[in-house]
Amino acid sequence: MSATPATRADFTHIPITNLSGEELLSLSKKMKLSLSQEDMLVIQKIFKEENREPTEVELEVIAQTWSEHCKHRIFGAQIEHTLDGKTETVDGLFKTYIRAVTYRIMEKKPDFVLSAFVDNAGFVKLDDNLAVCLKAETHNHPSAIEPYAGANTGLGGVIRDILGAGKGAKPVASLDVFCFGPPDTKQEDIKAKDVIHPLGIMRGVVRGVRDYGNRMGIPTTSGAIQFDDTYIYNPLVFCGTMGVIPIKDIAKEIKPGHILIAAGGRTGKDGLKGATFSSVSLTTSSHEEDQTAVQIGNPIEEKKVADFILAAREQGLIQFVTDCGAGGFSSAAGEMLSEVGGEVWLENAPLKAPDLKSWQIFISESQERMVMAVEEKDVPAMQKIADIYETEMFRLGKADGTGILKVTHHGEPVCTLDCRKLHEAPRRFMTGEWTTTNADEGDVFIPVEDEATGNELLKALLADFAIVSREPIIREYDHEVQGNTVLKPLAGASGDAPQDGSVVRIDGSDQLAAMAVALLPEWGKTHPHLMGRACVDECFRQLIAMGCNPDRIAILDNFCMGNPDDHRELGALVETVKGMAITAETYGAPFVSGKDSFYNYFKTDEGPISIPVTLLVSGFGVIEKPGHVIGASIRGSGRKLALVGEASSGLAGSVFARIIKKGADDEDVSFPVPPEFEEEIALTYYRNYYELVKKGVVLSAHDISEGGLAVALAEMGFSGKAGLKVDLSSVPTRDDTPAAEHLFGETPGRIIFEFEEKHTHLVEEAGFTVIGDTTDDGFVTITNGEDKLIHAKLSELKPIWQGGLTAWY
Amino acid sequence: MPTPHALLIKFPGTNCDNETSRALREAGFTADVLPVALLESSALDKAQMVVFSGGFSYGDYVMSGRIAQLITKNKLGDKLQTFVQNGGYAMGICNGFQILTQLDLLPRGSLVHNESGHFICKWAGLKRNAASPYLNGLPDEFELPIAHAEGRFVGVDADAKSYVANGRAALLYTSNVNGSSEQIAGLQDETGRVFGLMPHPERFMARSHHYDPDWNGAEKGWGYYMFKSVREAMN
Repeated sequence: MSATPATRADFTHIPITNLSGEELLSLSKKMKLSLSQEDMLVIQKIFKEENREPTEVELEVIAQTWSEHCKHRIFGAQIEHTLDGKTETVDGLFKTYIRAVTYRIMEKKPDFVLSAFVDNAGFVKLDDNLAVCLKAETHNHPSAIEPYAGANTGLGGVIRDILGAGKGAKPVASLDVFCFGPPDTKQEDIKAKDVIHPLGIMRGVVRGVRDYGNRMGIPTTSGAIQFDDTYIYNPLVFCGTMGVIPIKDIAKEIKPGHILIAAGGRTGKDGLKGATFSSVSLTTSSHEEDQTAVQIGNPIEEKKVADFILAAREQGLIQFVTDCGAGGFSSAAGEMLSEVGGEVWLENAPLKAPDLKSWQIFISESQERMVMAVEEKDVPAMQKIADIYETEMFRLGKADGTGILKVTHHGEPVCTLDCRKLHEAPRRFMTGEWTTTNADEGDVFIPVEDEATGNELLKALLADFAIVSREPIIREYDHEVQGNTVLKPLAGASGDAPQDGSVVRIDGSDQLAAMAVALLPEWGKTHPHLMGRACVDECFRQLIAMGCNPDRIAILDNFCMGNPDDHRELGALVETVKGMAITAETYGAPFVSGKDSFYNYFKTDEGPISIPVTLLVSGFGVIEKPGHVIGASIRGSGRKLALVGEASSGLAGSVFARIIKKGADDEDVSFPVPPEFEEEIALTYYRNYYELVKKGVVLSAHDISEGGLAVALAEMGFSGKAGLKVDLSSVPTRDDTPAAEHLFGETPGRIIFEFEEKHTHLVEEAGFTVIGDTTDDGFVTITNGEDKLIHAKLSELKPIWQGGLTAWY
Repeated sequence: MPTPHALLIKFPGTNCDNETSRALREAGFTADVLPVALLESSALDKAQMVVFSGGFSYGDYVMSGRIAQLITKNKLGDKLQTFVQNGGYAMGICNGFQILTQLDLLPRGSLVHNESGHFICKWAGLKRNAASPYLNGLPDEFELPIAHAEGRFVGVDADAKSYVANGRAALLYTSNVNGSSEQIAGLQDETGRVFGLMPHPERFMARSHHYDPDWNGAEKGWGYYMFKSVREAMN
């Protein structure tokens, strides 16, 4: 029953030159182009000048190219931003706070970042021959309406980013970070029909990531999950992949005469208009109407094309490569031909169904497709490798040096655009405002004076969704394939204790690569500037704790937010970016890549529900020797514990504050005071810590984050090797920190580490305070001088923490 | 004897070929990875061992190892059987074990979805249940990582019990990790030269592979001794 393949182009012209602004806007809506009236007027001008009407292919191409998803126009916008009544003009968030910071760091450290912001992913130097890159993407909208396929292709997409970085990097590890509604959300509390319950989202998303990563043979080694009511309607799914490439294969160039080869999966109607779909908010009708915007993944197809590309790169055949992501051939070929210009031949593309229209072939986001540029003479050699790895390839087009993108279908021109005009999207002008939270009132005082109260609070924290073990999910991912994972996501003496990140060996190098992630969205609601700073600090600090050289850490920023046209929401974003930039610059941690996702709000009958501005900082760093790899689990009794950093008061946004508020009848229970830390001081501590790592003094180390000191100590003890005993009166503080804030506060900048008593002088010379011991009694004990505040058996605490998600996954 | 040669057959979706060939070389083999598109029956001529490594051959969408078995059978006919009869060795790890089972080179039975319904990535305790050229250099109990969704061995009728009794089930788990009948983790044929196991020896070649940084069970990882054992058995 197969239909005969079309032998003619299938397209129409869309008359726009005589339309009014209103009519243009309604056309944009009707065609789901997600373009504003201003954008449509600019397009109208282009075609008026050429004295013709556009084809639907051309309109679709421009819509994809100018979509927020592809062009990041909000990070390029000019923003009038008002903080506490004072207004400033931000001349582009990306330019001012991300690129400029990175360029300044690159000047100071010329031999570290090898490329940033120009390719699919940024590269840093691992050794004289190899470079490492990392890229993270979001796939939020697709995962909201089709969790399995959405997350599946989210990971598949970012893996292709890595395959398309340089002349084809080899993916060596992946990360996944999710924000979901709480698993115990009551169905009746979900205020819109057709929204998938958080449990359905979680299970679908995890299985989607599992089935792509495991089949591709890329270990999923790092990750995080946040649970919050605000993510019920708009779950967030971040997927990232790290790659390795010989330094000589980073630079790529396309020249006139090069043949464009496409390889991998066939082109179909799946994933039409994904780029524009993800650039608007979700509504109940999204669940009905936008199913075709979600792509369908086939990891084995991608595995074959990956093997093909890596083999072709090793043989020196690839001149340029990029992935077909959002916008499909239109964005891949468009990007490759953006300066040089060239021809694209749609009729050569093998199709999944015979009846695709011209525009559908050109912008379809069918998965597992890569586009390469090769020399004409190398096409037969490419075909040979494609046959060996059993992937389909065909000639998609040719670069010709005209600067014009000419797409034909069965010989008929369906799209003729000047690439320069295409890539100049009109600039947006936007408004943001933010008012600093008033902290004059002070936090409500929670007394912790006895062991019973302290133990109860610690247990409540360990059982909270924010902190419980992610083990049921981690075990679904193959985190050991490739045989290079030396610090696993769960480790310690029984292989099930939490770690700060992961470390992989790199084939062909003596040095190792570490990966870590940080996101703290609770602060996005009230203290976005602090969130920006703290996310960079936490990610950097986790990498430091694991043994990275502080001078060889690079980071990525991935932003998600609700409605950018809401001044307060955009203001929170601006504050986050500003905070993030300060910490990154102080630490000398360059941003090498980043991505953003807007319109994560849902229009319910009772009004729109937005996510808080959410920043994911993922980082990767170099660990110079295998002996420098430090895990987060205590390795023995009779050792000493020391603290990097200082405690401070301020419980705003902490898991502790959330638990107290949830349990309180009194609406006035509030925690407005944020913790304090200083980046300059923190960096000095981190450098001193690294000196101890190099001397072999540090045996294990764990960052203090959600749940504070008490939770961090318990987590270190879950290895089962020893108990821990700490006296708060010896812990350095910035102020008169009360006990509860000492125990459970989440002040950034802190790491606990284990060392042998004989090294005490080295630890003290490095400026760190000895705060306690490891014991053989199996308890975590925290005293404040004479008072015992916590004294709990680790064997009782561990099941509470370890089993927290078991019932839900 | 000269350095034995291991031929690793790679299907679309095979993904442990790189680290498995690396492990074989570390243990004293020469090793080639051969994409199945290039497989001809003469490929076996210079090999002493054929290895099917882990992964998801053809996606395992039908039944794990099924398509790989059909393609291999089509290309090699009964050459693999002859190869083994003539003294050749065959090893299957994870997906490779599933393929060897499908190819009738191992005692009959199936590898089906884990009892939990989940993919399981963790380390498992193992117990040597019979003499095997692959296990000679290993202690009675040791551990290796597992990573599979379809690793639960089920036999027909009382087969599993008899495999444990007659030593075909050379390798058992020390606890119930996936629901396998009789906790079977690995099987061998009657010659002992064909061996399939779900755990991944290539992922435990060095001490630093172990989850516990203080692990000191041996100089190298247990996986190393498995490859080394079969290497030495060939002398």
